Amino acid sequence: MTHNPLPPASSIKRWLMTTNHKDVGILYLVTSIYFLIIGGVLALLFRFQLTDPSLNFLNAQKFNQAVTMHGLVMILFVISPLGFAFANYVVPLQIGARDLAFPRLNALSYWLYLFGGILTIISFFQDSAIDAGWTMYAPLTTNQFSPYVGVNTGGLGLALLVASVTASTFNFVVTIFRSRAQGLTINKLPMFTFSILLTVLMMLYAFPSLLAGLVILASDRLLGTVYFTSPEGGALLWDHIFWFFGHPEVYIVLFPGLGAMAEVIQASTRKHLFGRTAVMVAMVIVAVLSFLVWGHHMFNTGISQDVRRVFTITTIAISIPFDAIILSYIYSLVKANIRINTPFLFVLGSIGVFIIGGITGVFLGSNVLDYILRGTYFVVAHFHYTMVGGGLLGLLAAIYYWYPKMTGRMFDEKLGRIHFVTSMIGYNLLYFPLFIAWETPRRVPIYQPDLLFWHQLATIGGLIFGLSFLIMFWNLLWSLRNGPPAGNNPWGAFTLEWATESPPPPHNFHGIPTFSSGKLEFISTNGAVHHHHETHLSPYPFGVSLGSFLTLAGLTVHSLMLPVGLLVLAISIVGWGREKFVAFEDPIGERWPFDGVDRVKLGWWTFIASEIALFGILISAYIYVRGASGSWPAPGTMLDVWHGAVNTFVLLTSSLTVVLALASAKAGRKGLTTAFLGSTIGLGLLFLFNKYNEWSELIHHGVTFGSSLPASTFFLTTGVHGAHVTAGLLALAYLVSRSIKGAYGKDNWESIEYFGYYWHFVDIVWVFLFPLFYLI
Amino acid sequence: MVSTSAEAVYGLFNLFLTLGTLVGVVVGSYMIYNLLRYRAREDKPAEGEVSLGELPPRQGFPIKLLLSLVLSSAIVISLIVGTFSTLEYLESPPRDSFEIRVTAFQWGWEFTYPNGVVVLGEGRIPANRPVKFIVTSRDVFHKFGVLELGIGIDAIPGKINSYWTQVRVPGTYEIRCFELCGTGHGVMIGKLVVMEPSEFERWYQSQGGVSK
Repeated sequence: MTHNPLPPASSIKRWLMTTNHKDVGILYLVTSIYFLIIGGVLALLFRFQLTDPSLNFLNAQKFNQAVTMHGLVMILFVISPLGFAFANYVVPLQIGARDLAFPRLNALSYWLYLFGGILTIISFFQDSAIDAGWTMYAPLTTNQFSPYVGVNTGGLGLALLVASVTASTFNFVVTIFRSRAQGLTINKLPMFTFSILLTVLMMLYAFPSLLAGLVILASDRLLGTVYFTSPEGGALLWDHIFWFFGHPEVYIVLFPGLGAMAEVIQASTRKHLFGRTAVMVAMVIVAVLSFLVWGHHMFNTGISQDVRRVFTITTIAISIPFDAIILSYIYSLVKANIRINTPFLFVLGSIGVFIIGGITGVFLGSNVLDYILRGTYFVVAHFHYTMVGGGLLGLLAAIYYWYPKMTGRMFDEKLGRIHFVTSMIGYNLLYFPLFIAWETPRRVPIYQPDLLFWHQLATIGGLIFGLSFLIMFWNLLWSLRNGPPAGNNPWGAFTLEWATESPPPPHNFHGIPTFSSGKLEFISTNGAVHHHHETHLSPYPFGVSLGSFLTLAGLTVHSLMLPVGLLVLAISIVGWGREKFVAFEDPIGERWPFDGVDRVKLGWWTFIASEIALFGILISAYIYVRGASGSWPAPGTMLDVWHGAVNTFVLLTSSLTVVLALASAKAGRKGLTTAFLGSTIGLGLLFLFNKYNEWSELIHHGVTFGSSLPASTFFLTTGVHGAHVTAGLLALAYLVSRSIKGAYGKDNWESIEYFGYYWHFVDIVWVFLFPLFYLI
Repeated sequence: MVSTSAEAVYGLFNLFLTLGTLVGVVVGSYMIYNLLRYRAREDKPAEGEVSLGELPPRQGFPIKLLLSLVLSSAIVISLIVGTFSTLEYLESPPRDSFEIRVTAFQWGWEFTYPNGVVVLGEGRIPANRPVKFIVTSRDVFHKFGVLELGIGIDAIPGKINSYWTQVRVPGTYEIRCFELCGTGHGVMIGKLVVMEPSEFERWYQSQGGVSK
C-alpha cells in the first residue's frame, strides 16, 4: 500500500487545504446541496405567497427579491456546480489521470465559487437586495431605477463566480486534452467526460460575455458611464450581451446531467450507448448552435424581422440534435437487459419530463407564439421542465450512481425508490399546473382568481418535491456508516472509474492505466514512489479566495473588511508563488491534438481564448452602440490621434523587447534578459503615463466617463485594456525580481515565454482599439 | 375568435400543441414499452454485454436514428413554415389602421390618440376596425400584453415597436405587463375597452377627435 499523503477526512485542515480532485468534488457536492436548500427555501417562500394573492406574506419587493435570488442561486450556484462536483470527482478517474492539470487552481475555483455564493447571498440581507430578476435587465438595474447597494454586492458575488468558472474552464480543457490514458482518443471518451469537455468549451465563450455585461453594468453604476442609460445606444445592449451568455448557459447547466444519464443507461443496459458517435456529433452541434439562438429571447423587442426569422430557424432546429440525443438514449433500451435501480429510475424520470420541456421549448422558438408566451408561466413551466427535469434530475441520478464510488458504501435501494416516486409526484404536481395556469405573468404575486386552484396545487407539489429531498439526504447520510460495502464496480459498469477501489486511493490507480493494446491494462510503476512527492495540500487557494471575498465585501458591506482582505490576498498570492507545489503529468498518454503543447502553455492559450472573448464582447458592445446612435464625433475631434499613435508605437516596441528578453534567456545571457524585461516595464509605464495625460486632458475639457456614449465607450474599453497592461506590469515586476537573481537562462525560460503570450495579446488588442477609437 | 391576432396566434399555438402532444405521447409510450419489455428479470450477465474497460467500437450513423430525424425534421419544417406565414400576416397592418400610441411607465399605461388626447390606464379602441398600437416606454423595459386578444409586444425606452389587431367582440380586456419592471410590476394592470364603432365614434368626438 502506498502511503496516504492526505490528513484524515475528519480533520478540518484536510478540507481547507486539499487540492485533490476527489476532495474538491465532494466539497462542490456538499456546497451545491447547501445552496440547493437555500434556493429551495426561497422558492417555497414565494410559492406560499402564491397560494393566495390576497396574502401579504411577501410584499411586492420582497417577492421580487426572492424570485431573483432563487433564479441566480439555482442556475449559477446549484445545478452547474453540482455538475462540476462530478466533473471534479469523475473526469480524472474516467480518463485515467491522477488529478486535474492544475490542482491548486482547481481548489481556487471551488473556494471562489463558495465565497461568490456567500457574497451573493449576503446581498439578499442588505438594505435592498437585487430584485430585477436573474436576467438583471438594464436599465432596470442601473442606479436610476435600482439605487441599492445590494445590486453592487450581488454583482461582485457573481464576478467571483465568473473568476471561479474561468479557472475551471482552462483546468478542465487542459486536463481532458493532456491527461488521457493511452488509447483513449477523443471519440472514445466516456460520455460524461465528453459532455464536460463540451460544457467547459461553452463556458469558455459564454462566461466572458456575462463578465463583460457585469463590467459595463458596474461601470454604469459606479463610474457613471452611460451605456445602458442612453436610450439611443443601449436600449437592447444588455439583452444581447446577457442572452449571448444566457442561452449557452442553459446547455451548460444541462450537459453534465445529460452526460451522467448516458453513463447510467450504459451501466444499466451493460451496452455501449446506441448511436454513440451520432450522440457525440449531436452534442457538438448543440454546443455550437447554442451561441446562435440567443435572439429568440428578444423576439418581442422589435429587432428586424429577417433577424428574427433566422433565430426562429436556429432555435427550432436545435431540437433536432436534441432529438438525436434523447432518441438514442431510448433506443439504447431496445433489446437490452435493463437493470432497474434508483439511478436508472431517475434517468427515466428525467427523460420523461425533459421530453415535455423540450417540446414546449419548440413553442418558444416560434416568433409568433412568443408574442403571447414570453413573460408568462408557460416560460416558467418550460424551463423548469428542462433545467430541473433534464439538469437536476439527471444529476440526482448521478448522485446515486457515483455515491458508491465516492463513499465505498451502497445507499438503501428501497429508500432511493421511495425518493424517486415522491419526487416525481411532487415535481409534476409543482410544474405541470404552471402550464395550465400559463396566462399568469412571470414574477408577480398577483394573478387572475380563476387560476387559484392550479397555483395552490403547484405549491402543494413544491412542498412535496422539497420534502422528497429529505429522504435522499437521510439515505445518503445513513448509508455512509450503515450501507453495505459497495466493492469496486457495483453496477457492472465499464468505464475506467469502476476499475479502481471505492473510494479510490489519493493517486486514483495502482499503476498507469492504458488502452494502447485495445483493452484496459495497468502499467506497473514497480513501486516507483513518485506519488509520494506529489503535493495534495495548499493553504493558498483558500487564502486567495478569502482575501478576494473580504476585499470585495469591503467595498459594499463593511469597509473594515477591505484592508484585511487586501492583506490576506497579498500574503496568499506571494505564498502561492513561493510554494513548492508538485503536480506530475503521467509520462505517457493520449494528447491529440496537443501533443507538442505542454500543460502550462495549453492553459495559457485557453486563458487567452477567454480573454479574446471578453474583449470581443466589449468591442462588439462599442460597435453596437455606435451603430445604434445617430451621430458620433468625427475622428480627431474628441480624441487626439497623436496620443493613440504614440501609444501604439510604445506598446508594439514593448512586444519586441519581450521577444528579445526570451531570446536572451534562451541564449543564456542573463544580464541582457533582465535588461530587456526592465525596458518592457519602462515602455509599459510610458504607455500608462501617456494614457494618464490623455485622460486628464480629456476630463479637463469636459469629456468624462458620463458625458456621452462616445466618451463612455472610449474610457471603459481602453480602461479595461489599461487594467490588463497594469496587471502585465505587476507580473513583469515579479519576473524582473527573479531575473536579477539569475533565475532565467538556457534551461529555464518558459515563464518569459508564457508571459509573452499574454503581453502580445494585450498589444494586439490595442492594435484593434487604436483604429476603432481614433481613426474611424 | 375575439380578434384577428388571437385567431392567428392561437391557431398556430394549436398546431404546435397538436404536433407536440403527438410526438410526446409517441416517444413517451415507446420508452415505457421498451422499458417493460426489456426489463431484466434477474441480474444475470447476458450475452454480448460489455465488460469493464472495454472501449466503444467504431460506430456508424444508425439508420433507425436517421429515419427518426427525417421525421422530426419534417415536423420542425412544418412548424417553421407555419410560423413564417403567420408572422407575415401579423406584421402587416392594413393602411387604414387606427393608430394609438401606448407609453408604458413605472407603473401604468398611457394612451395617446391621433388628436393628442391622452388617457391614463384605460385605453379605448373601436371594434371591427384594424387598430395599430405604437408601443414604447418612458423608463425601463415593459411588455404590453393583452392575452385574450393575442397581443404582446415589448415596450422599450428609446425604441418604438408596433402591433396590430382587429377585435370582433366588444368588451373590456385586461392589459398586463409581462416584463419585470420593478416593485409595481404585479399591479401594472390596465384596461382595454373595445367599443362598438359608433359608440367609440361618439366617445372620441366628445374628446375632440375625428377618427376617420
